[in-house]
Amino acid sequence: MSSRSDPLLRVENLKTQFFTDAGTVRAVDGISFEVYEGEIVGLVGESGAGKSVASMSLLRLVDSPGQIVDGEITYKGETIFGLEEGPDGDLREREDMLTNEEVRTRIRGNEIAVIFQDPMESLNPVFTVGSQLREFIELNRDLSSDEARREAVDMLREVGIPDPAERYEEYPHQFSGGMRQRVLIAMALACEPNLIIADEPTTALDVTVEGQIIDLVDDLQAKYGTSFIWVTHDMGVVAEICDRVNVMYLGEIVEQAPVDELFYDTKHPYTEALLNSMPRPDRTVAELDPIRGVMPEAINPPAGCRFHPRCPDAREACKRIHPENREVARADGQPHRAACIKHDVFGDEYEESVPLEGRAQETAASATDGGESEGSGVESRSQSGNGSTSKTDWRRGGDDRE
Amino acid sequence: MTGETVPYGEALIEVEGLKKYFSQSGGLLPGISLDTNQFPPISVGEERVKAVDDVSFDIRRGETLGLVGESGCGKSTLGRTILRLLEPTAGTISFKGEDLATLSGENLRTKRSEIQMIFQDPQASLDPRLTVGQIIEEPMRAHGMLDDEGREARAKDLLEKAGLDPHHYNRYPHAFSGGQRQRVNLARALSVNPDFIVCDEPVSALDVSIQAQVLNTMERLQDEFGLTYLFIAHDLSVIRHISDRVAVMYLGNIVELAEKEELFENPQHPYTKALLDSIPVPDPRETGARGVLEGEVPSPVDPPSGCRFRTRCPRLIAPEAYEWDGEEWERTRSFMRAVKRRTFEPMPAAEIRAEFFGGTLPQGEPGRIVEEAIEFIATDRKAGMQTSGQAKAATDEAGTERDGPTVDWEQATDRLLEAFAEQSICARERPAYEVESEHGSGTHFAACHLHR
Repeated sequence: MSSRSDPLLRVENLKTQFFTDAGTVRAVDGISFEVYEGEIVGLVGESGAGKSVASMSLLRLVDSPGQIVDGEITYKGETIFGLEEGPDGDLREREDMLTNEEVRTRIRGNEIAVIFQDPMESLNPVFTVGSQLREFIELNRDLSSDEARREAVDMLREVGIPDPAERYEEYPHQFSGGMRQRVLIAMALACEPNLIIADEPTTALDVTVEGQIIDLVDDLQAKYGTSFIWVTHDMGVVAEICDRVNVMYLGEIVEQAPVDELFYDTKHPYTEALLNSMPRPDRTVAELDPIRGVMPEAINPPAGCRFHPRCPDAREACKRIHPENREVARADGQPHRAACIKHDVFGDEYEESVPLEGRAQETAASATDGGESEGSGVESRSQSGNGSTSKTDWRRGGDDRE
Repeated sequence: MTGETVPYGEALIEVEGLKKYFSQSGGLLPGISLDTNQFPPISVGEERVKAVDDVSFDIRRGETLGLVGESGCGKSTLGRTILRLLEPTAGTISFKGEDLATLSGENLRTKRSEIQMIFQDPQASLDPRLTVGQIIEEPMRAHGMLDDEGREARAKDLLEKAGLDPHHYNRYPHAFSGGQRQRVNLARALSVNPDFIVCDEPVSALDVSIQAQVLNTMERLQDEFGLTYLFIAHDLSVIRHISDRVAVMYLGNIVELAEKEELFENPQHPYTKALLDSIPVPDPRETGARGVLEGEVPSPVDPPSGCRFRTRCPRLIAPEAYEWDGEEWERTRSFMRAVKRRTFEPMPAAEIRAEFFGGTLPQGEPGRIVEEAIEFIATDRKAGMQTSGQAKAATDEAGTERDGPTVDWEQATDRLLEAFAEQSICARERPAYEVESEHGSGTHFAACHLHR
């Protein structure tokens, strides 16, 4: 791993919100992380955790009704997003923040590129694969049409597309899913960016193809030294490819650690529960230990620790204290951060408070079957409150704050 | 009715030689295909996609048979054909001693109360305009079970059994999360008291934590109702968790079938091995080298002869017609595939020899054939060899600035495949072997000639 000098990308207290009729959705709620040169940083979480919104915010690609409302994004000393307090006390965009024009021409594609999940939707079906790649290179690198074409063929070869000169003339539908994803990787790499944001790039692919793509990314990363932000929900892929990992839950980063520490010295109960709930390909697990309940909606997150309604370790204090992501250990000179008050750095409130009511029995019940608890999850989900909640009092803890 | 009760552990369903071909009969001119590279350019004749091609296995009462494979291998088609949602092209499906393949009309309709299905997309498989109560009662009504009150009571009971609140009886599907919708699907499938349920990727649309909840519920219901599952999935972790026995499918064939532990710990088919090797393991200390598969799945319209995996198999057997020394065959095989997939740039003959054969070609006949193939693609080939530049001219002009002779990939490929790949036993005979189990006592079927 490279030296810990200045990070390539620094994100601080980023908040992205969606203003909808039903209320404000706090999709990303104050996340901070860094990406250093040459490393692959994972952004992992279940659907709805806010990982895609977070990664799109980095390029200011959030559409209305979404808006970045707070935080700072610095890339190589340039401010992609930053706010300051104006004379009238309002927040306004900082002077040194790049304009839309600058972000479009200098940053997107040239400095930071994106690979999306669905390769069919990222390619235009009515143009040949080659011409799309050529156009992209032509526009971003100021090459003539012929040079760009040669470059495009080279890139296709580089990502392992057989017979690139011939396939240059083909349309996206003539490519298989894995080949299309290779084309997108070629496109992302074409302008030699320093950072690539890969948003679930292998999720739609078969496992053998996924293996091919991960190997390809590994090779290319070694060759070009590109940094990656790898957005995924698959812990297997994380273990395979990432150097450092950020685990997201309901808009927040709850744990941040080098990959080995994340799996072997897990500090946050959510990460722990996620790892325990997974069936394993490498060994037979007799009994799965699901996380009970469902993730609440970001429109009305639980008070205190956002995970406390589902957390097996939750205590009274978890309902009150909203922990920030603090350093709880160091590994190889790198911080291991976790947002959970059971760690000493958060003081002794956790030690002194009592376990949440009914938690012990519930744990036993949910170990055999998460059904009951998920069943009641509909209450928090639909926000309708017209159903029975008789056996789910503990779950309503989040609403007890009134 | 005969054979109404099948004891646990005995075959509930026996599938024998099942085939499902789809004809590409849609469009304006069905059955006519156009290929400008041949004469005449138009050919008439129906192309048929062999989605499931001669598959035999049985499912025992009370077990979960996992069916795993990559997309397009025919696993969903197989599941639907067994349920007679699709008409089989050939073969028999014997359910409790009765052949489902020949049933029709009212007999088939009645039979459907014993066989049910759960689909992948929990959203699309529930009617948004019906309440979950109506959804669950519908199959009972169709099969004339119980009266109104009885049905409602049963629906509520099933909701509870599937892990939902019976009070949700009057809610609509949109009010539920993905995992809960899948539970409604479970309750609906159970409503007619089936013996056998085909589960087509039931948890692949769900998040990991929800997946575990639903899987646990499915296992509990299996015990409670004595169900038999055919569990179709692409996720090997899920398959490993839920199955008793596992069948691996590739391009319309079952390539391996064994008890779960045996299949995962002692895989005997190169495809199964490759599949297991390529799963990302959630363990950063797991550093085992991944045997990534080369190439892509061939078209099911015209699948390879013999073993269908042979075109990608890392262990393709050497043709017996020739004598091979040391690594000669391995080198020839990788050269053959590199030519077929055109993974390298045309270069002078000496460089090709150096890159693929370390400078020395195989002895005797194979060496001569390789030499011929190299002649077709080498950039410094003799002028006299310039034949049939026909199709490939375009490649060259676009590819490089070379002004030497044209490179004839196709001829080289044909020569190599004909001489080597087609001669292998893998291409000539369809494999089917029973191997000895290392784990457990069950039989272990592996369709690979390595076990001959």
